Amino acid sequence: MAAMAILGSCAVVPVAHRAAHHPTIVSLNPCTDAILAEVTAPGQLLAVSHYSHDARATSMPLTEARRLPATGGTVEEVLALDPDVVVASDFLDPAAARAFRRLGIRVETVAIASSVAESEAQVRRLSQLAGEPARGKQLVAQIDSAVAAAHRSGKRLTALVWQEGGLVPGPGTLVSQLLANSGFASMSAARGLGQGAYLPLEQVLADPPRVVIAAGDERMEHHPALRHLMGVRYARLEPNLLYCGGPTIPRLAARLAKLRDGVS
Amino acid sequence: MLEAREIALSGRLAGITATLRPGEVTAICGPNGAGKSTLLQCLVGLLKPESGAAVLDGSDLGSLQPRARARVIGYLPQDGEIAWDLSVRNLVAFGRLPFGDRGTAQIDAAMDALDLESFSTRPVSRLSGGEKARALLARVLAGEPRWILADEPLAALDLGHQQALVGHLRKAARNGAGVVLVMHDLALAMNHADRVLVLDRGHLVADAAPEDALDPVLIERVWAVPARWLGERGARALVAD
Amino acid sequence: MTRPVPLLLLALAAAIPLSLLAGRVWLDPWTTPNAAIILGELRLPRALLAVVVGAGLGAAGAAMQGYLRNPLADPGLFGIAPGAAFGAVLSLLLGLASGWLLPLFALVGAACAMLLLALIAGRAGGVALFTLAGMMIASLAGALTSLAISLAPNAFATSEIVVWLMGALTDRGWQDVALAAPLTLTGIVLLRLAGRGLDALTLGEAAARSLGISPGRLQALLVAGVGLTVGSGVAVAGVIGFVGLMVPHLVRPVTDRRPSSLIIPSALAGALLVLIADCVCRILPLVTELRLGIALSLIGAPFFLHLLLKMRREAV
Repeated sequence: MAAMAILGSCAVVPVAHRAAHHPTIVSLNPCTDAILAEVTAPGQLLAVSHYSHDARATSMPLTEARRLPATGGTVEEVLALDPDVVVASDFLDPAAARAFRRLGIRVETVAIASSVAESEAQVRRLSQLAGEPARGKQLVAQIDSAVAAAHRSGKRLTALVWQEGGLVPGPGTLVSQLLANSGFASMSAARGLGQGAYLPLEQVLADPPRVVIAAGDERMEHHPALRHLMGVRYARLEPNLLYCGGPTIPRLAARLAKLRDGVS
Repeated sequence: MLEAREIALSGRLAGITATLRPGEVTAICGPNGAGKSTLLQCLVGLLKPESGAAVLDGSDLGSLQPRARARVIGYLPQDGEIAWDLSVRNLVAFGRLPFGDRGTAQIDAAMDALDLESFSTRPVSRLSGGEKARALLARVLAGEPRWILADEPLAALDLGHQQALVGHLRKAARNGAGVVLVMHDLALAMNHADRVLVLDRGHLVADAAPEDALDPVLIERVWAVPARWLGERGARALVAD
Repeated sequence: MTRPVPLLLLALAAAIPLSLLAGRVWLDPWTTPNAAIILGELRLPRALLAVVVGAGLGAAGAAMQGYLRNPLADPGLFGIAPGAAFGAVLSLLLGLASGWLLPLFALVGAACAMLLLALIAGRAGGVALFTLAGMMIASLAGALTSLAISLAPNAFATSEIVVWLMGALTDRGWQDVALAAPLTLTGIVLLRLAGRGLDALTLGEAAARSLGISPGRLQALLVAGVGLTVGSGVAVAGVIGFVGLMVPHLVRPVTDRRPSSLIIPSALAGALLVLIADCVCRILPLVTELRLGIALSLIGAPFFLHLLLKMRREAV
């Protein structure tokens, strides 16, 4: 008991900074996991989030993710890894954020990228943080060339992307920009839906798209009402392509381009 | 002395005036809806009359502190609900709540008076109806109140238990307490009460010794049932014609 | 009859140090980095917070069951926990959830619920009216919370709110203890003071009043006591249910069953229950910590069922 009292009364020692230009990093978010996996030098990324170890939730190659330890996101686990910086999303649990602040641990938060430009800025920022700007530049170049390669001019086909639970991405999202890039016109964008909203089936039937892209909710795809629509193409997209930007963008852009090419 | 001075509650009681004396058992009788329980609750201080007042030793009951009033007046409500399965002794001990003391002597005396010593640690759920009624009365007695006001204390009891309980109440009156009982059983009132108040639709229609208050003419008028008394004084029975 | 209080205190004295061993990280004092910080800044305050929150919920449950004369009553019935939860959800929705703001919003929510309860049920209202008022406030707060969730700008914000509502002690620290402990202890004191009135209520409202209990004062003590304990609990840990329901039942058989005798033992037993449940949440080998509210619901629902079946059997 006395030992506990002594331990408890020790002043909080801030986590020491090692090489400030090559910090060790723990990532708590699958999107930042994916970016950091690309832009850090070996040994810098100490751990990823548990989402990256789950095939359904990961935005980075599973085998690569499994080579890194995963945390459950608790402050305890982060402390035991003793990183220089923690990278998390805007929606970091308030209790965890408070705890990091209290213990003097540096946290960098990253928002959801709503455009390719924003995602590339995040990549550059994280690569600067990791002290590896060259790697960041390389990833940005990859993204740029992939987006360019996926560009399709000509007639814009209306497309509707349906995520889980009937959620459709709005106009200010990454996927809408990539759809436009690959010769699609996002239906939800045209309807002025926000970041993400629920599109009633009625509106879809009244003004059907050329392509319905089901990302995760097969129920919608099999809806009897939709089957009656003529001339509508159905496609499937892995849900994890829509969760994050960064290294996912080349893969998503390529898929959308292929889709566009397949529909005349 | 406990008095009702022109106690009135619209729709329920119309200006009741009566004096209740210590050392006496007073029964309040009347048909359903006559206002018996209402009057009793006014006398306990649970209901505030719209006009008039209940007066205890010259002071308005409403002006007394609830705890001070509780030390003097003990109330036994009609439904003998006991929410938790306590031991009999703990139940009786509740009678000491207005005093905030352990009151061991008073609790023992109350339990003794009602022959409950052997039930001290028994949970109340394992008491018979009569035993439970005695335990609830013991709770009131543990407070050594000067006034015992009970609403239909004998209603759910069988004959033997009725006799026993009314005996305890009369003993309490003999020891100086004023006992006021709401009773619907007229024979019990006739045989055991010293005074009877008869209420009819909120009005006091009789305030006298049982033989006079429960006169057959009045019974027919108030209860609309022709009846007569049989048997000797102290052991009367009522028979409807 | 055994004396529960010394036993429970002993159990707690043993459980608190043991709980320091429980966590997702296996602590090796020599090799694990920051072991002292993990113990002193995370696990120790968390253990104390579990004890404080559990004690508050246990005492509130015992007091509520005494007041409503219903062994199936739960502190949530007063509408205070939902009110506090709505306050916190509002702060999350408005993006004002940093530092002291979230607990502050939660406490304001609890206070509003208490005020509403007092206004509606008031001094004159009996227990039945009080119960109805509490349920109305609970549904109102619940509806407003659902509305707030539906207005969340994106799926992540929704998820943040929903997850917070599930209740957890993860990553809490000394400032949470500093907030919750004084409020909860004050609440428990108030509830203990209500013991006399709760005892008298055993005989029914009329008999209790005839014994000199002031129903208004009793109600005020209950509302304030439950408001402080439950409100501060929700403010630091989210919605944690079932503790207030379960613990008095577990403790009642070893007390003399008077409502006043239940309050402190229920507080201690609630502290023990939440501490143990929290340890279990930490050591289960899932991808991340199990939410405490979920763990207690998973224990609580079958317990509730067992209670109902037992009551049915006894009623036959």
